[in-house]
Amino acid sequence: MGRDDFETVRELVALTFGVPAESITRDTAREDVPSWDSLGHLNLMLGLEDTFQITLTVDEIGRLSSVAAIIDYLQSAGAP
Amino acid sequence: MKGRGDEVEQALQAPTRRELAAALSRRARPLTLPEVSRLTRRLEQLDEPTRPLRVALVRTYTTELLRPYWRFEALLHGLMIALCEAPYGSLLEAVQPGSQLAAHAPEVTYFFLRWEDIEPEFTRHGVSPPAGDAAVTSALETLGAMLRAARRALPGRLVVTMLPRMSGPGLGIYDAMAAPSEADLRALLKRRLAASVRDELPAVSFDDLDILVEEVGRRTFFDPRLWHSARFPFSVAGAQAVVRQMMTYALLLKEPAAKVVVLDGDNTLWGGIVGEDGMDGIALGPEYPGSAYVAFQRRLLALRQRGLLLALCSRNNEADVRQLLAEHPHQLLRTEHFAALRVNWDSKPDNLRALAAELNLGLDSLVFVDDSAHECLAVRRALPQVTVVQTPTEPAELPGCLDGLARLEILTLTDEDRTRTALYAQERQRRARAAASDDVEQYLGSLEMVMTVGLDDVRQAARIAQLTQKTTQFNLTTRRYSEADIRRFAADPDWLVAHFALADVFGDSGVVGVALVRGLGDASAEIDTFLMSCRVIGRRAETAFLAHLLDVLAQRGVRAIQATYEPTARNALVREFWGAHGFSGGPQAFRLELATRGGGAGPPPIRIRQLAEAPAGSAA
Repeated sequence: MGRDDFETVRELVALTFGVPAESITRDTAREDVPSWDSLGHLNLMLGLEDTFQITLTVDEIGRLSSVAAIIDYLQSAGAP
Repeated sequence: MKGRGDEVEQALQAPTRRELAAALSRRARPLTLPEVSRLTRRLEQLDEPTRPLRVALVRTYTTELLRPYWRFEALLHGLMIALCEAPYGSLLEAVQPGSQLAAHAPEVTYFFLRWEDIEPEFTRHGVSPPAGDAAVTSALETLGAMLRAARRALPGRLVVTMLPRMSGPGLGIYDAMAAPSEADLRALLKRRLAASVRDELPAVSFDDLDILVEEVGRRTFFDPRLWHSARFPFSVAGAQAVVRQMMTYALLLKEPAAKVVVLDGDNTLWGGIVGEDGMDGIALGPEYPGSAYVAFQRRLLALRQRGLLLALCSRNNEADVRQLLAEHPHQLLRTEHFAALRVNWDSKPDNLRALAAELNLGLDSLVFVDDSAHECLAVRRALPQVTVVQTPTEPAELPGCLDGLARLEILTLTDEDRTRTALYAQERQRRARAAASDDVEQYLGSLEMVMTVGLDDVRQAARIAQLTQKTTQFNLTTRRYSEADIRRFAADPDWLVAHFALADVFGDSGVVGVALVRGLGDASAEIDTFLMSCRVIGRRAETAFLAHLLDVLAQRGVRAIQATYEPTARNALVREFWGAHGFSGGPQAFRLELATRGGGAGPPPIRIRQLAEAPAGSAA
């Protein structure tokens, strides 16, 4: 299940920022992707909501700035 | 039942942009942002040729999060968007000549504005009665000044929007009963803004976003988290709805205007097959599903108010359909409501070609509506210029299925538009009489035609501009002018704007011809524009109008006329026009000495009435 989450998140990050999926790892953070700016970040968060059927608060939107933080959130929130 | 995800999967498999767009055309629920990204990537991979679309945005809230939707909606229609956003929050400065926006030369400029951001009293009290009556005047003056500046500095169309209220009224459920109420205040602001845009500024539209909120619902339209963190008001669903609405204006500029909606009969205008079920067996009446078909017919009737024509194209025995149109008690669309009918067993593409030819219109002005996937595909493949709409399988969804179709929207409305169907009915009567008579001169004489000519008449500026923009066949030079251009020419002593309207025993065709003449000094003039609506071809009105125009010019001291024929793909029929009317030269540049004109065919049997020139400064 954790592996599936990572693959889905990797695909979404690649789609949102127009980068190859292979370049995204579990250690990838906002600073590592040039187009992961504030605008792109919001688009990623909206994409997460649609993909995982979740609703994020403004705080959570601010916090989830890396692949690791996103995976942790999905697992602790018990997303199906 | 098919899920929405299947439509997206189908779209992602589509081999062409058109088929991708067709797969998505039935989408009732908005796409997610990842779906928009995937579809955009697919469209980019298809790498079909695109045309550019230059768009500018002026805004008092952030609009950057709209960018994925702009790119997607534009690509969906074969457009590559070049977007220029004015510096955030700058209004008057952004719309000055020499600004970044002006340099971008936009085809459409969208204004995303908020009442609270342009009027201090609304900032303080919200858009509510405590703001005071003076706030309304002040807000409209601020907007008016900005829009006038924008109109001077920017080309193309301007589209003004005001953000709908993001929460309910302060008085809650009591607001509807209050005097004054917030609802009244917002309605007043909208009404005044729309009126000033319509009456004072050419090529400017006011778009009412409240209509989108009605469709989608306030909770679905706005995302308070994005508003508070990024000053961006819209949810994914709201953003999509806004961009689709705004793209309508761009599409109306980029694509030829739709003029006719061609409808199938069986299972489109009535439930069932009249040839098999009989007139009494079809579903059309107060009971469901017949009620849905009646509601659809009512919606179609209303489309005629936009200046659109209806046509019927049905594979049936003609007698069965004629009887239905004449006798079925619940049929709203009768024979006279259709500008043309094709009821036979020929293929739909052949019938559509014949309909277009009969109405003297290009195939690219047709919208085809049919329930059959097979027929829709056949027309899409054979006639790519025709917009094809397949009706929903659920009858309850039928009445609204053409709502929001961009090609059926209009940007202006003239008196001509409102009466267009009646004009086509009159034309059918003329053709019947012409077919019945052997002698053309006798037929023309029997029409008792009267031509009314107006000179520099700004009251007709909108219609004159419309004719320069829409007339493609009987048009000597095909120069397109805006209403602002026509007003300018009418006021300019070096230009003459002449128009004519034609009436006969069957009715009044309205204003159908235009000539624009420019003085060149030394007693000579150039005919910049000479055109006539295809509606009145065949009655020699062009000969009568030209003769009268030359008389007027001679009275004004003009001695020599220059004229041009600029060939296009559509105007071959006027290639010999100048030569046939006594001009020398050709094939493109012609001359006429007014003193030596004469000869040629006898004058047509048309009586000419010259309108007295409208007094200077008459209201348009």
